[in-house]
Amino acid sequence: MWIRQILLAVIGSSAGAVAAGGLFAFIAELGVISDFADRTHTGDRIQWYETCVMLGGILGNLFWLYQIPLHGGVILLAAVGIFSGMFVGCWAMALAETLNLFPVFMRRFNLVNCLAGIILGIAAGKTLGCIWMLLQEAK
Amino acid sequence: MASNSETIYIKAGRNTEVKKPDVTLGEVLEITCVNPSMEAKVRSLRLLKGINGRVAVSVLKVVSMIQEVYPNADVQSIGEPDFIVTYEEPGKGSRFMQSIKVVFVSVLSFFGAAFSIMAFNNDVDAPKLFDQIYTQIMGNKPDGFTILELTYSLGLAVGILIFFNHFGKKKLTVDPTPMEVEMRLYENDIQTTLIETYSRKERELHVDQTDSSCGHRK
Repeated sequence: MWIRQILLAVIGSSAGAVAAGGLFAFIAELGVISDFADRTHTGDRIQWYETCVMLGGILGNLFWLYQIPLHGGVILLAAVGIFSGMFVGCWAMALAETLNLFPVFMRRFNLVNCLAGIILGIAAGKTLGCIWMLLQEAK
Repeated sequence: MASNSETIYIKAGRNTEVKKPDVTLGEVLEITCVNPSMEAKVRSLRLLKGINGRVAVSVLKVVSMIQEVYPNADVQSIGEPDFIVTYEEPGKGSRFMQSIKVVFVSVLSFFGAAFSIMAFNNDVDAPKLFDQIYTQIMGNKPDGFTILELTYSLGLAVGILIFFNHFGKKKLTVDPTPMEVEMRLYENDIQTTLIETYSRKERELHVDQTDSSCGHRK
């Protein structure tokens, strides 16, 4: 029986390591964190930010997998919501940017001076779409 | 000045931050020359006056400035052909605001990463997968949390550590971390974009322009 346990352990740890590699490569390569660091002129703290991402990943996984109760009340809930939302929002846009969505569309439609409008439109659309979807689910 | 015919080597970095709005050549370029007095004179030449924000400068402008003073000198530029000078007002980045920003980005990164891993686990329906793997290997249904979940969590931590190549201040190998690399790439992109934007709008500081006092701000 113990050999099966070892097999499980090997599968588990390999799966964890590779999943982590994939997911965090995705976060790092899309440059969301370096974008934050550059925007706030705190590029010298990039290692610390990395540590925060690492802690977030490790603790978030434990919290989710073992369903650890964390009674932080509505304030913690709101904090988790706003920060996760901001992160995912930046991430989604970084993905669109990496796939060269904007340059292609702007060239196709000959819209060179409408970047601000496009960004505003996308932000509004994503927000409204998100709210609509969540409302539908709540029903 | 006929004797001043030595070679002056200048090297421009891509982006230089300055602390004062008036900029001399010595502050933004690396300059070397066998004649110390020529070098000192070149260093003290004023390149920009009263800049605010960012200015893109063509190295040809610098060459022509030096040639005005030393017509016989041979100016060799071994750095970037265009460079950016950034001036930021000292009061702008107070320590307090700086720490607020650091805390903000830290919290954002933490919750963002936590949410991402949970979203990923949820998306691939990890519990179901754990359940199936356990059943197929052990031949019976799992009873609560098993070694699989535990090792998955450990493996995840190890994977993250290996990928990011450090924990806290302690680096695992001498390579830069992926985000340091990403940060440099990002800065490079920004600088290239700025220089190209300026030259496309013809707002770069060229040879035929004398000063930057207007029109080059951003």
